[in-house]
Amino acid sequence: MKEDLVLPAQRAQGPGTDGERLLEVTGLTKHFPVKGGFPIRRTIGQVQAVDGIDLTVHTGESFGLVGESGCGKSTTGRLITRLMEPTAGTVAYRGRDISHASRKQLAPIRSEIQMIFQDPYSSLNPRQTVGTIISGPMEINGINPQGGREKRVRELLEIVGLNPEHYNRFPHEFSGGQRQRIGVARALALEPKLIVADEPVSALDVSIQAQVVNLLQQVQNDLGIAFLFIAHDLAIVRHFSQRVAVMYLGKIIEVGDRDSIYTRPRHPYTHALLSAVPEVNLTDEDTGGRERIRLAGDVPSPISPPSGCRFRTRCWKAQDKCAAEEPPLVRISGNHEGHLTACHFPEEPTTEGREEDIVLDPALAALEEAASDEGQGQP
Amino acid sequence: MGGGGTAVVSGEPGPKATGEAALTGRSPGQLMWTRFKRDRTGVISAYVVGFFFLIGLLAPLISKVYGKNPYTVYADERPDLFDSAGVPVHPNGGISGQFWFGLEPGNGYDVFTKLIYGIRTSLMISVAVTVAVVVTGILLGVAAGYLGGKTDYFIGRVIDFLLAFPAQLFFIASMPVVVSLFVSPRDETPTYVRVLALIIVQWFLGWMGLGRILRGTALALREREFIEAAKVSGASPWRIIRKEILPNIVTPLLVQSTYLLPNFVTAEAGLSYLGVGIVEPTPDWGQMFSKASTELVMQNDITYMFFPGISMIVFVVAFNLLGDSVRDAFDPKTAR
Repeated sequence: MKEDLVLPAQRAQGPGTDGERLLEVTGLTKHFPVKGGFPIRRTIGQVQAVDGIDLTVHTGESFGLVGESGCGKSTTGRLITRLMEPTAGTVAYRGRDISHASRKQLAPIRSEIQMIFQDPYSSLNPRQTVGTIISGPMEINGINPQGGREKRVRELLEIVGLNPEHYNRFPHEFSGGQRQRIGVARALALEPKLIVADEPVSALDVSIQAQVVNLLQQVQNDLGIAFLFIAHDLAIVRHFSQRVAVMYLGKIIEVGDRDSIYTRPRHPYTHALLSAVPEVNLTDEDTGGRERIRLAGDVPSPISPPSGCRFRTRCWKAQDKCAAEEPPLVRISGNHEGHLTACHFPEEPTTEGREEDIVLDPALAALEEAASDEGQGQP
Repeated sequence: MGGGGTAVVSGEPGPKATGEAALTGRSPGQLMWTRFKRDRTGVISAYVVGFFFLIGLLAPLISKVYGKNPYTVYADERPDLFDSAGVPVHPNGGISGQFWFGLEPGNGYDVFTKLIYGIRTSLMISVAVTVAVVVTGILLGVAAGYLGGKTDYFIGRVIDFLLAFPAQLFFIASMPVVVSLFVSPRDETPTYVRVLALIIVQWFLGWMGLGRILRGTALALREREFIEAAKVSGASPWRIIRKEILPNIVTPLLVQSTYLLPNFVTAEAGLSYLGVGIVEPTPDWGQMFSKASTELVMQNDITYMFFPGISMIVFVVAFNLLGDSVRDAFDPKTAR
């Protein structure tokens, strides 16, 4: 499977011609007004959910978008599928600007951009049969496949690993994983070119996650559909995506191909994020081989994000420059082609263990100090 | 579970190949129906309620078979049955094999046909009010909930304003006003104008509760991802409301309507009792109460009161029990 995946990754990485650029997002911004005040309600602030992000998804590629909760991943997905209208910036699909297109203007490309949702229990209408749910998009877009819609729906059910006989069943008769498969079938019904998958497996049981991810991967390989894969599970994104972007507080802070992000990260936040992934190989002799970074505090409020670099309030390398100047997302020296980092003082491109762990959380630091003192007291 | 699910799926074609019909799923509506049929109280109440509606519907037929109508003044036709004051000479208002429920003191109307025609009038008005209220509630409630923003604010304030009205007082005060909109006070008011006025007045102050409930339901549904999925496919707002939202508000709608209808029946009866609703000689359930409480009837024929009284109690209680059963059938998790 690994070999299969490397090929499209390399193709996507290459200096792509314009024809290969399926989706191009520039300076995408979404601010939600915060209303308040008495007696007259007015806008007293802006939640800067997404604040000027650029990304490109190439044909047939899987692009991962990771970040912690509330960093604007899902908002980005909804802006790209135009469930929301961006405050600023453009979303261009095949070179056509769709950022402010009306429903009628969007109609011709609606079938090409589809979405898979997070919660399989809320993404299927409980009053419709599986057949109605999956054939709905075809009906809306007036698509009449050969042999009729029902035949096509049965094919789709087979593709996603369900029994075609489930055509007349209702969503409440299925488990979470099966429901998500129905959601995938619905997204595939229009034969899209791009699927925005908004945390498609995070609501599922761990044992099912792998099945659904494999299904998505199989769909991607077989049908050549590009994916924008939004997730907070780094391992799944690593498995699924050829290129990965890391978001923090409404901004992309690092983007690159999978290997660059996972083995040669430069941004301190990416380092922290990767070191937070639990290690399975406890028996491995070099458990100390990975770096260990524990951040303190919470993500700052997106209503009033920090000046300059948004990560500076939690960064161990922050200096005055970070508060004064916002680091641009550029290819810094030592990065591979296509690996962009927004940092003034980037880390070494490695995830090897460092001489000293970075533990910013004072409570955790105190605990560990006490533990190590005890260990030294009784040699 | 998904692993198990897939295993089941792959195992299924074998045994299911023979009985394909067995794989048709049961819709939430079908499940509700199955649960409802198991509820004995609900089924009995449904029969009782159905019986009343059948009586109302078949009133002309029944009275034809019975051979009388509610407009015949038996004090003139059969003076032998009445004394000089117009009171039936036989006890209990002259109940006999010929006049099953007796005769009304005064004009001497036949009580049985008067009651079934009264039920017919009352139910017709109440059903009309319920239909009007349901339509208004759906339109305004779903619009407020789904569109949100300024529409929601505006409709919400209108609902608040109307809820602040003292309903009973408003009914009594506005009935003559509404009637005078249609006919000049000097002319005689046709019955259909009174019926129309009753429907309008009750509808005007009746839809807010349902509207609010449906607004809440639509508001909750709007956030569900299947609505977003429909939007991503390019569905029009009209299609989303019709295909995604409306089927999902059927539950609260049905439950609320079964609570609303008996309320409208009693409200209409109240108005007719107070003399602002249906008046003689048009038979009406509520107006029979007002007749029963007049001095002549009260002192000479107390039995008269029982016919409209008991029938209405049976109807309202059965309808409310039916409402409870419908709610339980739709929402089996609600423990009582």
